[in-house]
Amino acid sequence: MLGQYVGLLLLACAPLGLMWNDPYWINILAYAYLFGALAAAWNIIGGFGGQFSLGHGVFFAIGAYTVARLYLDLGLTPWLGIFPAAALATLVAVLISWPTFRLRGPFFAIATMAINEACFALANYTDRLTGGPRGILVPFRAGFSNMIFIERWKYALLTFGFMSITVLITVLLRRSRLGHYLLAVREDEDAARAAGIDVLKVKLLGMALSAALTGAGGGIFAMYVRVLDPPTLFSLPDVGVKFALISLIGGIGTVMGPVVGALLIVPVENFLRGALGGEVPGGHLIILGIILVGASLFLKRGIVGAFTIALRRIRDRRHS
Amino acid sequence: METFFNILLSGILLGGIYSLVSIGLNLIFGVVRIVNFAQGEFVMLAMYATYFCTTHLGINPYLAVFLVAPLMFLFGLAVQRTVLQPLQNEPMMQIFATFGLLILFENSMLALTRGEAYSLSGGYSSVAISLFGLKASGVRVVVFFAATGIALALMLFLQRTMPGKAIRAVIQDRQAARLMGINVERTYLLTFGLGTALAGVAGALLAPIYTLSPYIGENFILAAFAVVVLGGLGSVPGAYFGGLIVGLIESFAGFYIDPALKQAIWFIIFVAVLVVRPSGLMGQIGAEEVGLREQS
Amino acid sequence: MKRILSSRLAIAAFAISASASLAWGQTDTLRIAVINPFSGPMALYGDEVARGYQLAIDEANAKGGVAGRKIELLRGDASSPPQGIAAVEKLASQDKVEVFTGTYISAVSNAASDAALRYNRIYWDTNALAGDLTERGLPNFIRSGPYASSFAEVSATATKELLAPALKKDLKDIKVWIEHEDSIFGSSIAKLQKELLEKMGAKVVGLGAHNFRSIDLADSILRAKATEPDVWIETGYVPDGSLLLRTMRDQGFKPPAIMMVGTGDTFETLDALGAEYLEGVAVVGYPRPDQTEAYGPGAAAFLAAYKKKYDRDPIAPQGMTAYVGMQMLIEAIAAAGGTDMEKVRAAAAKMDKPLKSYASGFGAKFDANFQNTRAFPTVVQWQSGKVVTVYPKDAAQSHVRLVNLPRK
Repeated sequence: MLGQYVGLLLLACAPLGLMWNDPYWINILAYAYLFGALAAAWNIIGGFGGQFSLGHGVFFAIGAYTVARLYLDLGLTPWLGIFPAAALATLVAVLISWPTFRLRGPFFAIATMAINEACFALANYTDRLTGGPRGILVPFRAGFSNMIFIERWKYALLTFGFMSITVLITVLLRRSRLGHYLLAVREDEDAARAAGIDVLKVKLLGMALSAALTGAGGGIFAMYVRVLDPPTLFSLPDVGVKFALISLIGGIGTVMGPVVGALLIVPVENFLRGALGGEVPGGHLIILGIILVGASLFLKRGIVGAFTIALRRIRDRRHS
Repeated sequence: METFFNILLSGILLGGIYSLVSIGLNLIFGVVRIVNFAQGEFVMLAMYATYFCTTHLGINPYLAVFLVAPLMFLFGLAVQRTVLQPLQNEPMMQIFATFGLLILFENSMLALTRGEAYSLSGGYSSVAISLFGLKASGVRVVVFFAATGIALALMLFLQRTMPGKAIRAVIQDRQAARLMGINVERTYLLTFGLGTALAGVAGALLAPIYTLSPYIGENFILAAFAVVVLGGLGSVPGAYFGGLIVGLIESFAGFYIDPALKQAIWFIIFVAVLVVRPSGLMGQIGAEEVGLREQS
Repeated sequence: MKRILSSRLAIAAFAISASASLAWGQTDTLRIAVINPFSGPMALYGDEVARGYQLAIDEANAKGGVAGRKIELLRGDASSPPQGIAAVEKLASQDKVEVFTGTYISAVSNAASDAALRYNRIYWDTNALAGDLTERGLPNFIRSGPYASSFAEVSATATKELLAPALKKDLKDIKVWIEHEDSIFGSSIAKLQKELLEKMGAKVVGLGAHNFRSIDLADSILRAKATEPDVWIETGYVPDGSLLLRTMRDQGFKPPAIMMVGTGDTFETLDALGAEYLEGVAVVGYPRPDQTEAYGPGAAAFLAAYKKKYDRDPIAPQGMTAYVGMQMLIEAIAAAGGTDMEKVRAAAAKMDKPLKSYASGFGAKFDANFQNTRAFPTVVQWQSGKVVTVYPKDAAQSHVRLVNLPRK
């Protein structure tokens, strides 16, 4: 069972091996792997737990700012810095989620969006920690201990590694008791409570794990893009909503769904922007919007879902 | 002291804007239960349609609303039928779909206008009214009275008419309504059309106030959602008073604390209220218990 | 499984063939890329800047191009730093772009120039405003246009030399309210404005920040009104600027002098407020084509060329600054004999042209951080529904006078 996922991950690594020399595609791949990881992290609470958070940008931003600050002010290598970053993200996540987990479904989603916007305004307002509207700029100083590389394929390898770890954590979670409790909560919260599950604790644990991984991903982002300002980190369409979108299109609540979704959406979006972005204002986004609407209508269970259904049909046909 | 009343008035009028934008969303969210990201875009489209009527057809925007609202109603029906009805049982995909619509509408308008900012001609925005020695912009006063009138009319509609009662039944309990013989799909269609038409009215009445840009819908959407949820799902007075409250909080926070923080402040207050009272200020307790995974 | 595999193979095959042609070699045209937001709220300005570049390039191509080759302009859409990086990667590796220009959003310029450095390509910025773009000392970054500091400087000196005399007051008796939108654009300019004005002796009675997407700005206006300033200076974009002015009108806030910075000088503002209300409003912005020929040689020619090619008036003055910036870049490339990063940098360092050499009134003299020290915005005033250059004095046409100051 685990072998199946390892195999799929290796398959996801194939483009890296083939295109390591092409900086354009490698950059896209590195980004795709990172967002695959971030979507997989979101999936833990959003997919398995059924708590549709649209405010994960907050954890992403905390991770990015923390790693950057620790690196610039204390000289702490980002390889270690991602741990306090993840911890801080987790702390904030638990604090925010404790009260807001009372809300269900779309109410929870809207509340998380509101929190995201509030944090954006706060990050923009305070100069000390976040650099205010200017943000934090991490200068380029190549070196393994800096997590800053000249060759882009090293970044791709890094984000691939991070994605693999996240996916494997997801696999282990799925099979663990917490995983089963999360799924039970998603299916029917009241029944789960009646069965004796501590629903709030389960949700908080799931959110903690999700936020920790998201924070770590934010830290990696910080050392890749190295320009961190509130509009970039708290953007709902580019960050918060995107994690959910990628999981949805790939197959929410599945293990490989976020990976598949990211490996599809990120290159497609970049390709469209590169091909159409300049001439017709907004042209590439019109096409992206059509693709999104089409995908929602025709890929209701996501790509992995559609794939699984097709596989099942083939199997049924063979047996009949 | 005069300043205080100025802020108060300004807050009330701003509340009128929020109420007007949120009333349509309240219906849609309350009945069809989807997070309709595209609601702000409906307002934007209506604004541009009004601009077209005013600038190219020479129609007064307050008359154009009678043209724009029915058009938006039909448009809403089309969207509901083609995109949202097939996704009835997939609430998360509905969010995804409406987000796709948001991107589509915004950027289509960008492609059409190349991003130039338009303003309605005719000097409507320069009409100033003096109320008890305080100054107010005429167009905003119109918006406030329109919001009030629409809220009252909508309440009457929901209480007294059959389609209105059907809507209230579906808001309360979808399954029970179906068992009672109510055609839930048709109710969805009607509601979505109505909600979009109300967005159309909002767009037409707000067009004289703002500079139009393809992205202006985004400025309203989150606030509209927050107002609807704060006021209480499906409650028309909730959306109305919710809008007023938000307007007042924003105005006072902006003046007495800092305009750069006012959004943060009222969002935090919003979350705090929700946590204490998840059904919103005037919502039916339990109405919010219906989560994303909806029964059909 | 097969489905995923075959699509990946397709991508891989495509990528392999693409990278096969990835040799460091020149194309027969000299390719310059412009990194700008071509979608999103800034799309209009991105487009206008690209148009300015194209006009300068057309001019140069008519004379045979530069360094023996014709110039070709490619566009890269980017509204955020990751998009900037991706755009540079594509243009540098796949499209063989040799020089990068741009960029209307400072954060994008930051990330994109950093990415361009990996390819040793020059990043010649004509429009981004943040100070740290040149202060960070990136070896490939050169800025030809004015930046936050220049805008703040001109706001302050215009207040002293233009507004104060018109209000018949000494600068030390002038009360100034500084309003700004709260992203890096407004914040950086406002901070410097406050410093400079206080240094000059004026009384800054308040510094107000607002979000440019706000639905309501009455609080910002009421706060300013309470301090009864003589001069109200605002740095922001079009939607918030227009809403602020309308709210001022509604609330009966009538400061004796209004000065907008950065935007407020286009038809968009005119449509929103009307000529009557705008009469006398000053705007510190990018130089305009109506300048005197002595101050901005070629300004009128630029205007004519724009109208001919695009069949309309310029939408925003950013275009002419971009046009001039591209001219400077072409000169630097010509002097360097090519697009080699070190040579172009050295050529730029040697450039020494006095103010009033270009259509925008700029000169060319780059300091140690490669910021052009001879690039300044100008001040215009709305007069009878038209925007008229009023400052510096020699940029203004001889018959021009100030109107409606103090505002009635």
